[in-house]
Amino acid sequence: MIGAVVATFLTATVEWVEAYTILLAVALSIGWRRAAGAGLAAMAALGVLTAAGTVALAHAGNLLFLQFLVGFFLILFGVRWLGKAIARQAGLKKLHDEAAEFAALRARAEIFDPRAAWVIAFNGVLLEGLEVWLIVVALGVQTHHTLAAACAALAAAALVLAAGFFARGPLANVPENTIKFTVGCGILALGTFWVLEALGYQWPVGEFSILVLFCFNVAGGLAVARSYKMRLA
Amino acid sequence: MRGFLKTLFGDARNVCVAVICVGVAGLLLRTPLAAAAGLVLPVALLGGAAYLARH
Repeated sequence: MIGAVVATFLTATVEWVEAYTILLAVALSIGWRRAAGAGLAAMAALGVLTAAGTVALAHAGNLLFLQFLVGFFLILFGVRWLGKAIARQAGLKKLHDEAAEFAALRARAEIFDPRAAWVIAFNGVLLEGLEVWLIVVALGVQTHHTLAAACAALAAAALVLAAGFFARGPLANVPENTIKFTVGCGILALGTFWVLEALGYQWPVGEFSILVLFCFNVAGGLAVARSYKMRLA
Repeated sequence: MRGFLKTLFGDARNVCVAVICVGVAGLLLRTPLAAAAGLVLPVALLGGAAYLARH
């Protein structure tokens, strides 16, 4: 349960920081009340999706198939995040810059049209939140702690809002790449474990293998990033 | 809709990496080398992440 809660909290923190940048840019054009309305509408949609996803998956008859499905989604998600984090660490890709993202959003003409700006805020929060939804549903259903995972995601949202309130600007100092790298390694470890177990593989050291897989991903990811960096230099 | 699908599944390369790695591990489990699947899948996925980092 702790692993699921920590992974959800970290994933949600990264995604909510990006969503907050969008909300802030929109709020400066159409006001906080409307921007918050768009954000809350997106959060409500995510809540409905979470409930629907949890109920649908919880009623899946074949538990091994469910485990495979959840594991496969985690692999899809984890390998993408790890790949991105390696690219950014190696210098192959620019680090995500919230201040630049904020400036780019403010430069868009549509942001001054109240209706278009509302849609930008709604879509932004919804799309950033989809990854949080995926993690909450996948980890929650598989570990039977969906409520705890959802609370971790909401706690991350509260933390980001509080930090945004004090920063009064985009949250540019969040170590996003480090979080993405760590979460990518963890999610990939869980996905690998569950997929192979669902296919009938007996892990030699049981659930302790998840920790071994996590350490392998961290060491391997750092080694790959270092080798790419050396090649670039 | 496109953003929704891309968020859930990633791009085509991402899906290919996951399908190929899991497919290879699944096939390996049906051979006498089944015990190696626990080593092959993590290494293949790390290779996949390294590939995605460059593309």
